[in-house]
Amino acid sequence: MIVHFNYGLQTAHKRLDGSRESIADLTGRVAASLATLLQHGEVDARTLSTLRIHLDWIQYRANFRDPVIVRRAIDAEGRTLPLAEIAIDVRQVDADRLVSLLADAQKTLRGRPAGGGENRPLVLDEFRPLRDTIVWRFGRLYRERLADWEAAFGAGCDARPEEGTSDVDHPREVADSVGDFWTLLRDLEAHGRLPPEIYVLHVGVASAARARRWLDTFKALEEQYGSEYYSRLKVLLGVHSQGALDAAPSAMGPHGPIASVVPLDPMNPVRTLSFLRFKVLYVHLANVYTHLPFDELVRRDDRVYVVEARPYVSAATALHLAKEFGVAETELPALVQRVLLAGPDGFEDRGKGMAFWRCVWSALRLEERFRAIDHGEDGHVPAGLTLEHLDDLLEAAPHDIRFQISRGAAESLANTLPLLHPRGYLQAQDIFVSALDEYRQGFRGPGKLDGAVAAWVNGALLRAVAVRAGYDVHFAPFRYRADSKATILYTTQRD
Amino acid sequence: MALPLLYTTVIGSYSMPEWLKRAKNDYLQRRVSRHDLDEMHDAVRKSSIKDQEVAGVDVISDGELQRDNMIDYFAERLPGVQIDLGSKRFYYDYYDSVVRSKLATGSLGLVEEARLLRRFTDRGTKVTISGPHTLVKRIQNQHYASEEAFALDLARVMNLELRELARAGVTDLQIDEPYYSGFPEDLPWAVRAINAMVDSVDARLTLHICYGNRYGKPSWEGSYRYLFPTIAEAKVHAISLEFARRGDEDLQLFDQFRLPFALGLGVIDVKSHDVESAGVVADRIRRALEILPAERLIINPDCGLVHLPRDVAFMKLCAMVDGTRLVRQEVTR
Repeated sequence: MIVHFNYGLQTAHKRLDGSRESIADLTGRVAASLATLLQHGEVDARTLSTLRIHLDWIQYRANFRDPVIVRRAIDAEGRTLPLAEIAIDVRQVDADRLVSLLADAQKTLRGRPAGGGENRPLVLDEFRPLRDTIVWRFGRLYRERLADWEAAFGAGCDARPEEGTSDVDHPREVADSVGDFWTLLRDLEAHGRLPPEIYVLHVGVASAARARRWLDTFKALEEQYGSEYYSRLKVLLGVHSQGALDAAPSAMGPHGPIASVVPLDPMNPVRTLSFLRFKVLYVHLANVYTHLPFDELVRRDDRVYVVEARPYVSAATALHLAKEFGVAETELPALVQRVLLAGPDGFEDRGKGMAFWRCVWSALRLEERFRAIDHGEDGHVPAGLTLEHLDDLLEAAPHDIRFQISRGAAESLANTLPLLHPRGYLQAQDIFVSALDEYRQGFRGPGKLDGAVAAWVNGALLRAVAVRAGYDVHFAPFRYRADSKATILYTTQRD
Repeated sequence: MALPLLYTTVIGSYSMPEWLKRAKNDYLQRRVSRHDLDEMHDAVRKSSIKDQEVAGVDVISDGELQRDNMIDYFAERLPGVQIDLGSKRFYYDYYDSVVRSKLATGSLGLVEEARLLRRFTDRGTKVTISGPHTLVKRIQNQHYASEEAFALDLARVMNLELRELARAGVTDLQIDEPYYSGFPEDLPWAVRAINAMVDSVDARLTLHICYGNRYGKPSWEGSYRYLFPTIAEAKVHAISLEFARRGDEDLQLFDQFRLPFALGLGVIDVKSHDVESAGVVADRIRRALEILPAERLIINPDCGLVHLPRDVAFMKLCAMVDGTRLVRQEVTR
């Protein structure tokens, strides 16, 4: 048995039940529990020899994991492989129930799921690579119906906090950003290369708020130093929800005449803005990448697997949903599909539709398995890269690793860079993993933030995408608010 | 060899296959031998020649896929330029290169390479050379008193190579100077260097000036207005400029200024994977014909095709040839 500690052990962690059991104690309990099971003949010694125990600390209060889960590996034909893992979220697991939870896990590993049929979870879809699971459709629904969600359940993660306290439009960060841009414009002007129209693109949920503050600051700077840049500015707000589209124009206040709101697919900005190819001097994305689909790869004993997931809700939740919404449990998967297609309007009573949406989302869990990747298979390779580039990335990665292929972010970056003017640059404010080894030091998602999926973004992957497009990317911590986990990715031209 | 009116040509490079990029990187990591890499280069050059022939291009290159980039290929060959072979891990990066003493006179080895091209085609043949201005901007100068002095000495060495290439039967020689657009203030001495470089060279000479194609994106933006009128002093037969991506507004400059040479008209956008139709190409040529007569137009892509996928590059060349044929029929009717 191999035990993996997938988080920093030095920090004293407070568990969900408020206890602060030390890692050493907890690990001891895991080992003791397994020994107990072994002693009682409930663990097959052969299984134990290849078993890996993963101890995770899942920082997202809402997530897709039960406290103890089991993962099996299969080959491309679906045959079971020896690799087996039990993953324990030490933040939420009830330590006193460890023995029984691990016993259940062992039964599952041996193909004899714990509990009778009435306790079986209700599976909502089949196993698919993470990128294709329904969690992203929930996320898309949330973005499209953000106003409905907030009206029904209150504002959440995307809500505007007190004026100027959000990382997205933090006054000092915006001031620095404007200052850097101003310097660029001065330099271009000094060399007679200032374009007649100065294009700027802001993309993201709070892009209007940021753009407004950015333009306020820019105008103040212009009034202070005197220039004629402002009148040449063409500011575009790329939004991907109807609510943001409706709200953005009024949010721009006096800057309305130089600002345009553009419905934009965050994965492919250049498709909508192809007329701006090589013309945009500054692109800013805020909290865009974190919500885009990703895959996960696992390397164990020199073999690479893609993580496949199957959504489910617990038997108790299924029973509750069936009673609450007056349908048979067997009809629930179809009802979920209806919500994903039509939103809450798929119900006769819209309020009920909203409630169903939130209940299912809240209870949604993902069962995982690893599927070995066949030689030459490239379904997991994101746009902007090839299989060989991914191999290069893996070559430089720690030997035993599970990491995310932030394919949505990679595709978005690959389809945004062509907009940049030869002297232009891109900044993305998000939560990044800048080196693959960081995936072994903490849980990087997915988690739930209100109705959306959230995860850290694989910066190492974005670095590889950018290099191919002629850019280096760098990561700077967001230094304007203590304890902020945000990082600013910025590009520079490769020589 | 007689060329048709509005003859077609390439700027130089052809699509670089992913596997070759990988092999080049592996060579730098000592995982592929020089011998094996050279064999790959030969194979891919022959295939590039064939693609250009099948597309119907009149004057072709060897695809230049043996070159890592437009600087290192020459920096490695220029006698007197020192390069740090350990300074790059990715083939497309630039070596750190420096000149610490006067350049010696010697062969750059291009004639041998041109022989392969001539052996495998009966079309017009083109060899391109990075110009002295471009090389001066990339090779660190620790010897010459000025960039101009360095450029003129580079021109002296390269002039001998160009003469040899012409003697070997290469019909078209092209000097690439993308850095003009980044340093327009250098133009007077840069043109003097060109003239020194092409002195007594018996071939059709083209000066190619674009806005850069590094990583398939422009390095600069602006207007070709900066070239005029100084560029008229260049002793070449044609200058080739990019118009397909940038639009043809600058064509008016050829109306404003009477130039003594032909125009290589960029009709293919090499920074986009969208393949132009023959009709689009024809329209671009027709607009140029409103300003210049057909005898003074040569049809080519905006720049090299190195960053395009092979199928896209091939289809773009086909569209260029087909579009040109349409207009040629109209002009000669």
